[in-house]
Amino acid sequence: MKKFDFKKILKHTEFYVFVIIIALSLIIQARSGLFFANNNIVDLLRSLIVPSIYALCALLAFVSTGPDVSFPLIAALSAYLAIIVTKAIGYTGSAFLVFIFAIIFGMVMGALNGWIIVKYKFPSLIVTLGTSSIFNGILLGAFEAGRMDLPQPLERLGETSLLTVKNARTGLGSSLPMTFLIMIGLYIITYLVLNYTMVGRGVYALGGDEISAERAGFNVKAIRFGIFVANGAIAAIAGVCYSVMSMRYLPTEYEGGEMIVIAAVILGGTRMAGGVGTLKGCILGTLLLTMVSNSLILVGIPVSWQRVFIGVIIIIGTAISALQSYTAGRIKSKVKKEAA
Amino acid sequence: MIKAKKIDDNIVRLLIILTAFIMIACVTRPANFIQLGNFQTMVKQMSEYGLMALGVGICMISGGIDLSTVYIANLTGIIAGMMMQNMAAGSNGNGYIYLAILVALLVGAICGIFNGFLVSYLRIPAMLATLGSYQLFMGIAIVISHGSTVSGIPEAYTRFGTTLIAQIPVAFIIFLLVTIVLSFIISKTKFGQRIYLVGTNAQAVKFAGIKYNAIIIRAYMISGLISAIAGLVSLARINSAKADFGSSYTMQTILIAVLGGVHPDGGFGSIPGIAIAVVILQILSSYLNMFPNISNYYRNLIWGFVLIAVLIINFVINKRKAAKLRKMS
Repeated sequence: MKKFDFKKILKHTEFYVFVIIIALSLIIQARSGLFFANNNIVDLLRSLIVPSIYALCALLAFVSTGPDVSFPLIAALSAYLAIIVTKAIGYTGSAFLVFIFAIIFGMVMGALNGWIIVKYKFPSLIVTLGTSSIFNGILLGAFEAGRMDLPQPLERLGETSLLTVKNARTGLGSSLPMTFLIMIGLYIITYLVLNYTMVGRGVYALGGDEISAERAGFNVKAIRFGIFVANGAIAAIAGVCYSVMSMRYLPTEYEGGEMIVIAAVILGGTRMAGGVGTLKGCILGTLLLTMVSNSLILVGIPVSWQRVFIGVIIIIGTAISALQSYTAGRIKSKVKKEAA
Repeated sequence: MIKAKKIDDNIVRLLIILTAFIMIACVTRPANFIQLGNFQTMVKQMSEYGLMALGVGICMISGGIDLSTVYIANLTGIIAGMMMQNMAAGSNGNGYIYLAILVALLVGAICGIFNGFLVSYLRIPAMLATLGSYQLFMGIAIVISHGSTVSGIPEAYTRFGTTLIAQIPVAFIIFLLVTIVLSFIISKTKFGQRIYLVGTNAQAVKFAGIKYNAIIIRAYMISGLISAIAGLVSLARINSAKADFGSSYTMQTILIAVLGGVHPDGGFGSIPGIAIAVVILQILSSYLNMFPNISNYYRNLIWGFVLIAVLIINFVINKRKAAKLRKMS
C-alpha cells in the first residue's frame, strides 16, 4: 500500500501548480464572483479539451526524446484529409470512422517525424519545425484548404452535448461537448500504457538514460519511433475534436497552439531533459494556462496583458523546474563525492 | 586545423549551390530575374530576416537557440516608431531620430541580456527560455501599441528605406556591415573562440576557467542587438510596426542557420556561411515569386523540405568524412 506522505508531496512540482490554481481561482472568485459559476466552470472544461489532448503529445515527446512542435499542423492536416475523405465517399454513419481516417493520416505524418529522428538522431525541435512547415505547405499550398462545413457524422457529434448549464444570475449558458469524453478516454489509455506496460516504462527509461535503457533490453529505436507515430494519432484526434467543437473546419486556426501547450507541460513538472513527467502535472499545467487565458478578463485585466502574463508564467515555471533539476544534480554529485 | 578546413568545405558547397540557383534562375526567367530592380527588392527583403538569422546562428553556435528574435525586432520597431511619432512634432532637427534609434538598440540589447540571464544563471534550456521571453516581448509590444499597428513614421526616417548608395539599398549595406563585423568577432577574437568552446563542451569550458555565464549573456545580447537593427530596418522599409508582424520568420531564421552549416547541437558553423545561406534562400523565394500560379504557401513546403534535406545531406557527408579519416589512421 502507498502511504500518504505529505513531505513527499511538497517536493512535487504538481503540488505547487495545484496551489497556484486554487489561489488564482479564489482571487478571481473574490474579484468577480463569477469564477465558480456553473457556466464558467463548463466553459473552462470546454476550452481545456483540445490543449490537454495536445499536451499528451508534448508530454510523450518530452519524456522520451525532446520537444515536438509539429502536433498542431498534424492535427490540422489529418483533420482536413479525414473530412475530405468522408465527404468524398459520402459516408454518413458514425463519427467513429472519421476519427479512424484522421488517426491513420496522423500516424503516417508522425511516422515521418519518427523515422527522421530515429534514423539520423537530429534534434527533435529542428526536425518537427521542418515537418510542420512541410505539413503547413501541403495543407494551404497543395490542397488550398479553406474554411468548410463538416460532414454529417461530425456535425451530429458536434450538436450533441454531454451537459448543458445555464447561469441563473447572468443568464449565460454553456454546454460541454462530447469530445470531453474522448479526452478523458485518451488520458486513461495513456495512463494505463505508461504505468502498467513494459513499453510505457520504456518511454521513461529511454528519456532518463538512452544507453542504460538499451542495455536493459528496451528496443530504443522502436519505442522512439512508436512514440512519434502515437503522437501523430493523438494529434489527429485533437484536430478532429477541434473542428467538431467549432462546428466548422478552420485551417488557419490550428497553427501556433504548440508553444502554450509546451509551456503548460513544462509547468506541470515535465523535465525538459527527459525521463520525468506525469499526466497529473500535464493536466494541471494545461488547466493553469487555460485559466489564465480564459479568466483574466473576469478580474478586469485587459486582454492585451494576457501575453505578458503567459510569458511571465512560462519563465517563472521553467526557471523553477530548471533550478530544481540543477540543485538535484548538484546534491547527487556531492553525495557521490562524499562516498568516494 | 581540421575544423578550419571543414568550414571552408561547407562554404564551397554553399557557393556551388548559390551559383547553380542563380544560373537556373537566369536561364529560365531571364526577363524577370536579370534586372536591377529585382536585385534591389531581393536584397531589401533579405536584410531583415538575414540579420535575425545571424543572431540565431550565434546562439546556436553557443549550443542554444533564440526563438525570440522576431519579437525583439517587433518590440524595438514599435518603441522606435512611437518615439519618433511623439517627438516629431516638438523638434525641428533630426536629433530625435537618432535618440529613438539609440533607445531601440538599447532595448534590443536589454532583451538579449534578459534571454542570456535566463539561459546562463537560471539554467533554463535556451529553447524554453526564449519561448517564454518571446511571449513576454510580444506581450509588452501589444501593451505598448494597444495591439494596433504603429504607423505614420516621420519621412526623415523612412527615407532610409528608399535611399540607394551606388544603386545598393542602405538596408543591404547594414546587413553586409553587420556580417563583416560579426565574422571578425566570431573568428578572430577570444570571445568568438569561446562561443565555439561553450557550444562544443560547456563542462570543459568551466574547468578551463572560462566564465560560462558571461559568454552566454554576451552571445544573446548580440542576438538581441542585431534583432533590434532588423526591427529598425523593417520599420524604415514598411513604414510601420506591429506586435505580431513576421511570425513565420522564426522558422526561417533557424532554417537559414542550419542551411549555413551551423550544427543544431552547437560548436560548428560560421557567419559567412549563414550570410550565403540567406542569399540562397532569398533567390529561391524570389524565383518562386516569378511563377504567379504557385501559391505563397508552397514556400513553407519547400523550406521545410530543404531544411530536412540539408540536415540529412550534412549528416551523410560528415559520416563519410569520418569513415575516410578512420581508414587513413
